[in-house]
Amino acid sequence: MQCKDVEFVVEQEGLAPLPEAARAHVATCSHCQDYVADLATIVAVANELPAEVEPPARVWVSLQAQLELEGIIKTPVASAHGERSSWWLGFSDLFRSRALATATVGLLIAFAGVMQWQKQPDPGLPRDSSRLPSVPSWQIPFAQTAKVLNEQEVDLRNMQLAGASTAPVDASFRQNLQQVDDFIADCEHRVSVAPQDELAREYLSNAYQQKAELLSAMMDREGSLH
Amino acid sequence: MRTGMMGVTALRSHMNLAASRPSTNRGRRPLLVAAGFLCLGVSAADAGQQGQHLEKHFAVNTRPVVVIHNVANGRIEVKSWKNAEVDVVASQTSNKIGFDMEQAGDRIDVTATILDAGAQPRELEASMQLTVPEETELQLKTETGLIYVEQVMGDMTLESVAGDVHLKEVSGYIIVRTTEGSLVCTQCAGKLDFKSISGGAQVLQPALTNVSLFTTAGNILFDGDFVRTGLYTMKSGKGLVEVRFSGNDSFDLKAQTATGTVDNRAAAYLKPDSHGVKHLMSKYTHGLFGSVGQGLAKVELSSYSGTIRILKRD
Repeated sequence: MQCKDVEFVVEQEGLAPLPEAARAHVATCSHCQDYVADLATIVAVANELPAEVEPPARVWVSLQAQLELEGIIKTPVASAHGERSSWWLGFSDLFRSRALATATVGLLIAFAGVMQWQKQPDPGLPRDSSRLPSVPSWQIPFAQTAKVLNEQEVDLRNMQLAGASTAPVDASFRQNLQQVDDFIADCEHRVSVAPQDELAREYLSNAYQQKAELLSAMMDREGSLH
Repeated sequence: MRTGMMGVTALRSHMNLAASRPSTNRGRRPLLVAAGFLCLGVSAADAGQQGQHLEKHFAVNTRPVVVIHNVANGRIEVKSWKNAEVDVVASQTSNKIGFDMEQAGDRIDVTATILDAGAQPRELEASMQLTVPEETELQLKTETGLIYVEQVMGDMTLESVAGDVHLKEVSGYIIVRTTEGSLVCTQCAGKLDFKSISGGAQVLQPALTNVSLFTTAGNILFDGDFVRTGLYTMKSGKGLVEVRFSGNDSFDLKAQTATGTVDNRAAAYLKPDSHGVKHLMSKYTHGLFGSVGQGLAKVELSSYSGTIRILKRD
C-alpha cells in the first residue's frame, strides 16, 4: 500500500480502525503518520465544538430587510398566493446549513444581477400594500421588506397579547414602533406620488431599517422575558 | 487564563447578591460565595444586605474596556480618575436584581439582571457609578436609565431604549443608539455617530471632526464650531434640525427637505459655493447650497418633513 492508498482508505472509511495493510504502511511512513495525526487532531477538536444553534426567525427578517435595503436583492412580488412565503422559507432553510450559506449569498447576488438586467415588472402581479391600493406592487419600494416586517410585527403583537407587559421599556418600544409605522406610511405615500424623490426614498429606507432593528430588539426582549 | 477564569467564577458567585436567585448550583453557592469573599476582600455585610450597594475595585493596566449591561431601570454614571483602577459602585432597590461582575485582563464586565420576571418596575431599579482611568473604552447598554459619561477618552458605544445619554468632555469614536432617549453631548471631541427613533440630539461646543446624527422624530441641535475638513451630517425625519455656527466657521452647506421647510437666518453669511461647483436641487426637494468662509468643512442637513434652521450665533 502506498501513501495515496492510505489517503483513499481514510477518506472512505475514516480513521479508526484502519485496515491491516494501511496500518502497516503508516507504521513505516512518517508522512502518513503526520497525516493521520493531523486528522485525529482535527476530529478531536471538531468534537469539542458546540452544536449549531438555529438562529431565531428575526435573524432572517433582519437579513432579508438588509439585503433588500442595500439593493442586493430586489424581489418582484411573486406570481400568486403564498409562493413568496415558501420561497422565503426555502431561503431560510438554505441558510441553516453554514456550508450552503456562502453559496446562497452568491446565488442571491447573481439573482439580483439578473433582476437588474431584466427589470421588467409583471403588470399582473398582485398588490402588496393595503396602504397604496392604486399603486402596482412592483412600484412600491421595498415591498418585500415591508411584507416580511409587517408579518413579524403581527407575530410580535400576538406574543405580547399572550403576556402584555406594563414595563416602561415595553411601552416605549410600542410607541416608537407606532411612530416608525406612521412615518413609513407617510414616506410611502410621498414615494407613490413622487417616485423620483430620492430624499423620500432614503428616509423610507432608513425607516425600514429602524423598524427591522426595533422589531429585533423587541423580539429579543420578549424572548428573554418568556 | 484558566486561573483567571476560576477567579471569574468565584467573582460571579460573589456578586450574585440576591439570595432568592434561582440556580441549579444552589448547593455549591455557600462555598463559592465564601471563596469570593476571601478572594476579593469584600465584607459579608455588604453582600448580605438587600437593597444596599456594593463596591468593587478592579486593577487594570492601560486602556481598559468596560462593558455594562443594565436591564434594570437606573442610571449609569461614568467618571474618570488618574488611577489604573476601575471602581464600580452598584446599588439596587430590591433583591430582584442581581449583579454579575467579572474581570478578564483589562476587560471588566458588569451585568445587572432581573431575577424575578414578575417584579414591579419600582423594584427593578439598579444604578451604577463607575470611576475609570481617563483612557477607557466603554460599551454601555441600559433600558430606561440615564447614561452619563464625563471626561473619558476612548471609543464608546452607548445604547439605551428610553434613557437619555449625557456626555461631557468625552473624546473618541462615540456611537450612541437609542430608541427614545435623547443625547446631550457637551464639549465632545472625535467622531460622533447617533441614531434614534424619537430621541433628539444636542451637540454643544464640540470639537468633533466627524458627526452623523439621525433621528426619525427627534430634534437636532448643533451649536458650535465646525472643524476644518470635518464632515457633518444631520438628518431628522420629522423634527427640527438647527445649526448655530460662528462667524469664523468655514464650511460648505447643503440643506434639503422633501416636504418641510428651510429657515435660513444666515443669508448674509451664506454665499454661493466657494469651489465653483454648481449644485442642482432635485425638483422634488427644496433647500439650499452655499458656503460660509472658504467652505473647508462639509455640512449636510436634511429633513423629510421638519424644519431646517440655520443661524449664526451671537
